[in-house]
Amino acid sequence: MTPTETTTPGGALLVLAILLPSVGILLSFALGSRAAERIALGSAAIALIVALAILAEVSRTGRPIVYAIAGLSPPLGIALRADGVSTVLLLTSALIVPAAGLYARAGFGTPSNARDSRKAFTFWIMLQAVSAALAIIFVSSDLFNLYVALELLTFAAVPLACVEGRAETFAAALRYLLFALFGSIFYLLGAALLYGAFGTLDIALLAQRMRPLPAVTAAAALMTAGLLAKTALFPLHLWLPPAHANAPPPASAVLSGLVVKGSFFLTVRLWFYVLPTLPAIGFDVILGALGSAAVMFGSVLALRQARLKLLIAYSTIAQIGYLFLIFPLGSGLHPWAADGWNGGLMQVLAHAFAKAAMFLAAGLLYESLGHDKIADFSGAARAMPMAFLTLGLAGLSLMGLPPSGGFAAKWLLLRASVSSGQWIWALVLLLGGLLAAGYVYRILAPALSDAAVVLKAPPRRTGEAIALTLAIVAVALGFAPESFFELLDIGRPALTTAGLP
Amino acid sequence: MALGTILLVSTLAAPTAFFAACFFPSLRSAALAWQWLAPIPALLAAIVALANGPFDLEAPALKLSLRLDLPVAMVLAASALLWIAVGAGAFLGRGERPEPRVAVSWLLTMIGSLGVFVADDLLSFYLVYALASIPAYGMFAFDPSPATQRAGRVYMAFAILGEAFLLFGFGMLAAAEPHGGVRIPDVVAALPDSPWRDAALPLLIAGFGAKMGLVPLNGWMPLSYAATPIPAAAVLSGAGVKAGVIGLIRFLPLGAPLAGWGEALAVIGFATTFYGVAVGVTQQNPKAVLAYSSVSQMGVIAAALGMALAADNPDAPSIVAFYAANHVLVKGALFLTVGTFAARESRRTAWTVLAIALALSLAGLPFTGGALAKAASKPLFAGGLAASLAWASSAGSALLMLHFSARLPHAVEYDETTSPARLVRSWPLTAAGALFLPYLLFPFVGAFGDAFSLSKILDGLWPVLAGGLLALGLARYANRLPHIPTGDTLVAGEGAFDRSLASGAAFDQVDAVFRRWPAAGLTLLAIVLALAYAMV
Repeated sequence: MTPTETTTPGGALLVLAILLPSVGILLSFALGSRAAERIALGSAAIALIVALAILAEVSRTGRPIVYAIAGLSPPLGIALRADGVSTVLLLTSALIVPAAGLYARAGFGTPSNARDSRKAFTFWIMLQAVSAALAIIFVSSDLFNLYVALELLTFAAVPLACVEGRAETFAAALRYLLFALFGSIFYLLGAALLYGAFGTLDIALLAQRMRPLPAVTAAAALMTAGLLAKTALFPLHLWLPPAHANAPPPASAVLSGLVVKGSFFLTVRLWFYVLPTLPAIGFDVILGALGSAAVMFGSVLALRQARLKLLIAYSTIAQIGYLFLIFPLGSGLHPWAADGWNGGLMQVLAHAFAKAAMFLAAGLLYESLGHDKIADFSGAARAMPMAFLTLGLAGLSLMGLPPSGGFAAKWLLLRASVSSGQWIWALVLLLGGLLAAGYVYRILAPALSDAAVVLKAPPRRTGEAIALTLAIVAVALGFAPESFFELLDIGRPALTTAGLP
Repeated sequence: MALGTILLVSTLAAPTAFFAACFFPSLRSAALAWQWLAPIPALLAAIVALANGPFDLEAPALKLSLRLDLPVAMVLAASALLWIAVGAGAFLGRGERPEPRVAVSWLLTMIGSLGVFVADDLLSFYLVYALASIPAYGMFAFDPSPATQRAGRVYMAFAILGEAFLLFGFGMLAAAEPHGGVRIPDVVAALPDSPWRDAALPLLIAGFGAKMGLVPLNGWMPLSYAATPIPAAAVLSGAGVKAGVIGLIRFLPLGAPLAGWGEALAVIGFATTFYGVAVGVTQQNPKAVLAYSSVSQMGVIAAALGMALAADNPDAPSIVAFYAANHVLVKGALFLTVGTFAARESRRTAWTVLAIALALSLAGLPFTGGALAKAASKPLFAGGLAASLAWASSAGSALLMLHFSARLPHAVEYDETTSPARLVRSWPLTAAGALFLPYLLFPFVGAFGDAFSLSKILDGLWPVLAGGLLALGLARYANRLPHIPTGDTLVAGEGAFDRSLASGAAFDQVDAVFRRWPAAGLTLLAIVLALAYAMV
């Protein structure tokens, strides 16, 4: 493998994926909230096409596609690179963002007779900013570039969390902002240390020059901790429940489904792409242990919430925990690591769709029932069958029951943990599944019982259709064919660096 | 084999097509009303498999492989027939039809219940097994009464727990298969030499045992059957529970003698058998008595499989399958009997006789299908102690079923004992079918000449007579029996569960601590240090 990466055919698509939302943001600033809505939805549609084109190119060639900006290869220039994982995540983001956008038209639309509103203006711009930031995170291969994207993601996510402008949402958003900034500082410090030690921040070059230096140790620890704070991995979750539970539903869907995955993906990039040759024995156990603690605490606390949106937010904390099992189960050159890697990434996808669907369904329930108190859901399933079907299907994936993406993820992780003899993670997976079944049951069982319920407003048909579609995608992921996992393996470092010591 | 393959696919495809039709509003009500026709391909597939031998099908693109062999075909034939007969009775009567969401649950459960007989790879099996368990919640638990909600909660908890056991066990099976395959025969063949054998076997036994109601995972069964409407109880107790039996037949490595595990399973099985009888005779609700009888009968099956696992008996799968097929028909018909006796104002003597004969079929009353099942299973219980225990279990069954017959006239006093009129009208036919249809399957496991020798008939008669004597004794001391709540040990489990909920408050406190800024900041630093330390 040569260190210099030159532009491959289709490389321009990566530039398009990043530029599209960025241009959209600039145009929206100039033209106001009514236009911002149209621009956001229109550019989301094009972004979906671009993501599909990237997917087609990567799976056709079986190799990552690369774009060297201004024709300069690293270390002089900056490269964009889309491997199998980034392709799939780009597509995920390109599906969930427009879903949230279409759903949000009811709450954040600007009717033809109304004046431009600041609320709508903020929402549509920040939605585009999130998709821009995620696109950069998924395809960038330069740690400083990634820092900028991470900051952009935070600064786009925080306004989304408080776009309603209520006092408690401001408090939650401030909490989110401050903690995320701590995370950024840690990350930046680590990146600076790496630059000092190796004179580059390009991922491929760093991986080649990597040596076990004290500076690397400090950098890895700082960057990881910073990213964990932004991912809200337990016990660094203080900001997540209030921020996700108080945001408007389409914003919650994006925050919980996608935004936390951005910093998780960077953690994966760091450990699997930059540092895989480092003799770091215990880090994977630490990350796995924190993830397991997150599964347990998040699930138990989800069981104890009285409000649906808080329950879903705590469930996010638990489901994020599973993601970190990718470190003990997916690293190294062992035969089982492929299962762990595929399982961890499948969990990213399954949770993204399932959780987005759940937050949107919770929003529909709130609109029609006027509350989201679980205890008062009795009989609501008869009045709003689609919303509860969505919650049920998404819940199936969260519990890890077949057929669903959640089950596929659990099965792969379980097999990896048995094959590798790391029993403890298998127990976490199973116990987490039981607890998830408990909190999904808590939502559904009273709603399914025969009781009369009065709706304040009939459910919105389009909203129902969008939420249900996302839940169906989460279920359909369970049928992912073998070729899908081959796609995920394109550019996977354990395969490409197999020859290195 | 083309016909066989088509039928094999249709076994799953036909009910799935009915389910797909539910998504079209114009087809929905017709699809739900006529869903009782959906198991016909399954029945035909079973018949063809019985006549022509096993057939299988692999569709790697769909990650699906199917297989139907002789032992399983017997249970499939009985189950499909039960789904058809009960479904027709439940859905043909216009006014008494279950509401749509109950009917959809019924259909999904049917897909799963038929699917477990034909799924031949781990993942498809796990999927249909989950379908056989989880949607069944909707067949009884929508009623908001506290008793039903409790039964539903308990049912779901055990179903999910069983799924978790199985998933763990399946993970170990898959990990031990040297070529990464997931076909059931392959993974089971690899099990005896697997490093995880002694962890996988108890998980499989616990997972399937939870479905069968083996002690101590039996409590959900009486609780949920008592709350379940008659038609649903008939199919769940008859066909649904057999998912666990088929699981054990398919997943136990019966070709390789594993004395320790076989004996352990036999002990669990016999303990369940006698436990079911002992608790069953204290129950007053005839449906709960039937549920404990199911517990007891599943114990017999587990014991038989345990003996076979210990002794490497190659005929065991067929024998156990025949025993299970008989139980499918008889237990289904017995629940319909409860509905019939709850509906009749004046009961004819002939009907009472028929009901008692049906009940005693489970104890092996001569000339019933049950007698054939007992005769067929005899070789599995060879040897002094096992033979005596098997004899005693038949006597116990006779006792329990006579107790059931005595409680039958009180059926009307209990909830959920009404049955659709068609099922009541056709009951004599159903009961006769359950008594004698096993004759059609018997040639696959034994010879009639042998089964009808005088000594065999007397063999079958003695335990029934002994049970009769015990029943007389029981009637005398009925008022001195302890009062055991329906669900027995489960009640203690529920208490422990409720107490464990209180510990959740501790989690709130931990959460409150970590959600304070100083704690969160310190944690962040601690994580930095821990990660750095791990790398030095």
